[in-house]
Amino acid sequence: NRKDELKIAVICSSNMNRSMEAHAFLAKKGYNVESFGTGDKVKLPGSAPDKPNVYDFGTTYEYIYQDLLTKDKNMYTQNGLLHMLDRNRRIKPKPEKFQLSKSTFSLIITCEERVYDQALDHLDTSIYNGVWKPKNTALHLVNIDIQDNHEEATIGAFLITELVAILSSADDLDNEIDELLLEFESKHERQLLHSIMWQ
Amino acid sequence: TLPRQDEPNDYQDETEVDELITRATVAPNDTAKLELLSRVTEIIIEKQPALLDNFLDEMLNFQSDSSIEVRKYLLEFIELACKADPEIIAKIVQNVRLMLSDPSVGVQKRAIQATSAIYQTVLGWLCRSKTVTDEMENAWTAVNELKRYILSLIDSDNDGIRTHTVKFMEIIILLQTPSETDSIMSSEFCLDQVPITVKVARPRKLEEDAKQLFEELLKFHGSRHATSVNLMACMGSITLIAKLRPHFMGKVVAAMEKLNAILPPTLERSQVSSVRKHMKMQLIALLRHQRAVNFCDSITNLLTDLGATNSELHRAVPNWDEIRAEKRKRQR
Repeated sequence: NRKDELKIAVICSSNMNRSMEAHAFLAKKGYNVESFGTGDKVKLPGSAPDKPNVYDFGTTYEYIYQDLLTKDKNMYTQNGLLHMLDRNRRIKPKPEKFQLSKSTFSLIITCEERVYDQALDHLDTSIYNGVWKPKNTALHLVNIDIQDNHEEATIGAFLITELVAILSSADDLDNEIDELLLEFESKHERQLLHSIMWQ
Repeated sequence: TLPRQDEPNDYQDETEVDELITRATVAPNDTAKLELLSRVTEIIIEKQPALLDNFLDEMLNFQSDSSIEVRKYLLEFIELACKADPEIIAKIVQNVRLMLSDPSVGVQKRAIQATSAIYQTVLGWLCRSKTVTDEMENAWTAVNELKRYILSLIDSDNDGIRTHTVKFMEIIILLQTPSETDSIMSSEFCLDQVPITVKVARPRKLEEDAKQLFEELLKFHGSRHATSVNLMACMGSITLIAKLRPHFMGKVVAAMEKLNAILPPTLERSQVSSVRKHMKMQLIALLRHQRAVNFCDSITNLLTDLGATNSELHRAVPNWDEIRAEKRKRQR
């Protein structure tokens, strides 16, 4: 089963909206997928632009759901946050920080350039934990910019699922990825970032 | 199942392994086969290493298995088996050599990785023992033949094989060079552990070899036909080397300058962005290294050209201006 071969991570900033939308799509299609955030904290819109709801990674979706429910059920229902958290808690217990993950992946998709930079930075040397030993698992890191709102996250999840389908059907991904990404870019008129790292 | 009353003995293990291998041969699918084989590995490598020799040939027979996953697993087994008993290396070298030319590219890449591990195992084995036996010398010669073959793959038609060859070169270079006081991390194994008494692998010769490999890596980095993936893989390797073996840093910075001046003409627009971003990230990481001060002008010029802002530079090295001023003062 080719879908199993590719170990995929989808990463955004808070592991709430963009990465979870894509996680849900990919999981439904049967891919081997995990999702993460690279930010310092989990941030969600609050009652005003300067008053976001901020949580530590590791706080459960359930807790955040109940928290927002208590704070302002009406507002958080209307802006879709409760719906999103309800979806999230059905997928996994809590947002996860990529930099703390011990899993290895063959394909990482980030949803924003800053997130791509943070993932790249983490994979560069911090994964060695101070002791160098040969790292042999190659992984492809691809960034596709997605704005952080509900509609764009849905469009983004479609695009990510299409991209993953293309990449997972390659006979020899390392040899073909350059071409496949270029084709994807010209079809969707979107620029991707790509690099290869080791884990 | 209830735990057995009697302690399992060699005989029971042997019978079990025999049975597991027979079942693996006729297993209906990969998952079942891999499960049985990993159980065998557990017994003959961890539980009863004395049995490894008895069952080695049976395990190696799986090399002709039709499943790519099983053949890849066999390489994992070979790596572990060599670690457990380096004396078997001479026996398995031919198998690894064949798998380096396996019909599946995936198996070939896995064989390249396995060779770097086996190479380190043999070198460690030579360094630990007081005298070099014929077996050791043969094993060392044999892994060096594998190494020579892999190095020739830098010209392979397959992009992924070239990427893995670059990684292989990086690993050998780091193994065969000594650590330095400002290496950013310690090494599990490197030239520091090679005593000068090992006749077949003199430290000076190993280091010479590593330096030559490094030059070849730089040549690949500067080649006009490198693909974006391989450029980035190679850039990652040379900067890692610079951080662990800082005496190479000057050459690495020069190679980046050269690449930035003229990127391969074959790169598409978005690939240029990816390569430049990769270079920027690598240089910022390099900037954090204390030896970078010797190359601060080149690195900052390059970073500015790649679009790094002053605040990005300061985030990487908060006292960057002071360091540069200090260096200028010393130069005057």
